[in-house]
Amino acid sequence: MPRRVAITGMGVVSPLGINLDELSSNLLDGVSGAGPITAFDPASLPTRIAAEVDVEALSERSKDRKIAFATEAARFAINDAQQAGEAISGHYPGASGGLSLGIGLELFSMPDMVRLMEAGEEPEGSEEERLTFLQSPSDICLHQICREHGLGRPPMTHISACAAATDAIGLAFRMIRDGERGWMLAGGGDSMINPMGVAGFCKIGATTTRNDDPTKASRPFDRARDGFLLGEGACVFCLEPADEAEARGARIYAYITGYGNSFDAHGISEPHPEGEGAVLSMRRALDDSGIRPEDISYINAHGTSTPKNDPIETHAIRRVFGAQADRVPVSSTKSMIGHLISAAGAVELAASIVCAREGFVHPTINLDEADPACDLDYVPEGARKVDVGYLLKNSFGFGGQNASLVVRMGNGRGARV
Amino acid sequence: MDRAPESGNDRKLVVSGLGGIDLSAESDSGDGLDVIPWLKSPKTKKFMGKQDQLAVIAAGRALRDAGIEEGARLEGAGVYLCVGYIPFEQQDLEPLVRDSTAAGRFCMERFSSEGLEQVNPLLTFRCLPNMPIFHVSMNFGIQGSYFITYPGVGQYYLALERAVGDLRRGVVDLALVGAVADQDNFLVRHQLRRLSSSGAGSETDWSVVPDSAGCLCLELEDSARRRGGNPRLELVSFGIEYEAPDLLAGPATYSEKIAPDRRPGAAGRRPYHGAASLPLSLCQLSGAGTAEEIVHEVSTFDGFAATSCWREYA
Repeated sequence: MPRRVAITGMGVVSPLGINLDELSSNLLDGVSGAGPITAFDPASLPTRIAAEVDVEALSERSKDRKIAFATEAARFAINDAQQAGEAISGHYPGASGGLSLGIGLELFSMPDMVRLMEAGEEPEGSEEERLTFLQSPSDICLHQICREHGLGRPPMTHISACAAATDAIGLAFRMIRDGERGWMLAGGGDSMINPMGVAGFCKIGATTTRNDDPTKASRPFDRARDGFLLGEGACVFCLEPADEAEARGARIYAYITGYGNSFDAHGISEPHPEGEGAVLSMRRALDDSGIRPEDISYINAHGTSTPKNDPIETHAIRRVFGAQADRVPVSSTKSMIGHLISAAGAVELAASIVCAREGFVHPTINLDEADPACDLDYVPEGARKVDVGYLLKNSFGFGGQNASLVVRMGNGRGARV
Repeated sequence: MDRAPESGNDRKLVVSGLGGIDLSAESDSGDGLDVIPWLKSPKTKKFMGKQDQLAVIAAGRALRDAGIEEGARLEGAGVYLCVGYIPFEQQDLEPLVRDSTAAGRFCMERFSSEGLEQVNPLLTFRCLPNMPIFHVSMNFGIQGSYFITYPGVGQYYLALERAVGDLRRGVVDLALVGAVADQDNFLVRHQLRRLSSSGAGSETDWSVVPDSAGCLCLELEDSARRRGGNPRLELVSFGIEYEAPDLLAGPATYSEKIAPDRRPGAAGRRPYHGAASLPLSLCQLSGAGTAEEIVHEVSTFDGFAATSCWREYA
């Protein structure tokens, strides 16, 4: 018998804040988290702007930003899940928790690499410094999170690029639903705001170069979009079987009800022209949820602000939703926080949920003149009051990996059990 | 550790095809990395790094071994892939580092103006860890479910677990369960030195870290029979345990064994195949036709202990 899966905790580290109230307030006000890059001196690169996290606000001080973000978000999620009801450790026996995390694409620190290859220097500082030297590999935070929170089930990494966090949440949902795992932490963390990350994206012409106007740079679905704005951060959800969550008296934000993923199996740098993979991913998530397109009241788009993604995603939504496509509000969180790559799906899902709990969907900012090929209702005018029942979250990865989630809001908002 | 018996289920899970490539083996030293025959378009080779080519070759060989014809529709197939540690090759790193350095330190200005010029724009495509699964999906026309994980044999077992779950629940009807370890390079050797304990008595030879890949075609037995497939191995049982390692506590240990081990040189210290060790071992061991069981056990640097039992079809 499949189990219902509840979201009982959320921990967010984002360019728009590190607590849920701050995040929802900024999203509903249409605030941009973009600005000049401060993490390093990007003066000689074509892209010199990004949406950065205020690292001074974090208690975790790891030299490796992606480790700091993920470990802090996991702490926030556990803490949040225990704001109501019995403690998790008291309710679940032993080390029964699991972890499913989208992690950053493998890169390395150029300053560290130069030290190693040119000067033959290995760090002689603390163990922490030695461990984070090179800022590679990317899975270190996984074990740190498991150790800190006593998670004893084998943790899963997901490296499906921009779809990684959505895959991580979807797989955790499926494993809890099917009784393969008890409770789990799931989400993603990433930071590519470093010389190799930013330069790598510049090299393939993926990022915006609107350096003089950072807050206007990310403009999904707009005619004048010129690439994505790089962001960074992390988001971790606490997922539990709904009956267990209810038994321990937890607050339930929402229920995950469906997950699907797919390959484009098409081009290396461009989506399938008919959005074939995106269509499959959405349909599989809807089928998995046992609902129809007309049951969806909000779509949180992948919405990258790249010339290629936005019209194809629009077309794919039209193919799945048919005549319903004009009815459903669609917005892009990336318009405000940029593209968080392996963390994107998780932070954007949290963004959707915190706004839906307030009775709103957040806007797509900077949509001044829509691309004629982007003709859905992207909520350009500002936050809109919507009673969200089921929402659909899309994440479409570079390299043709696509993932979609269906979530039903809890606590009476759109609940149709 | 406990292994959850797969044979307790009504429907057996079988390996209907095996494919592997080990660039340290003599047979693979020459034409072994010839990926062209497996590509839909030879032009796409320029986008492929070594790990991409290894993954495509292993998957192609597994599909061919399963009797699945080239160009066959694989609508119900899924891919479950574990990718090893970062695959930057030394020849790509050296000019980048050389031309990004001033007075022995990283220089952002040189990096931007000179170092980056040394980087082939296609390197971005060749080094991303999700590219092997992209090339497998594109060249074999697979649009099904996927799980792509990282970086070692413990995670390969998680890919196996996911494939088993998806097959049993009908999410897919054929699972390519693969691993690729492009690890004979500067960065991976550095990482292995950091992680490994290479003390006396180790059965693993840390001086040999071959570039390798392996892939299994996993199916429900009745499904394999229905399409005319020829099962090679039955998955009898498997199990995965984990204890979060203290990464700051110093070198971790690694142990791995497979029995019976009829592989060449089995008596000596063995190379470290990383993520690809299980599927590659099964490639090397299956086919004896003795109906015996093959048992694999591994305890990894990163806190995983996993085991599996496979039975040969007589």
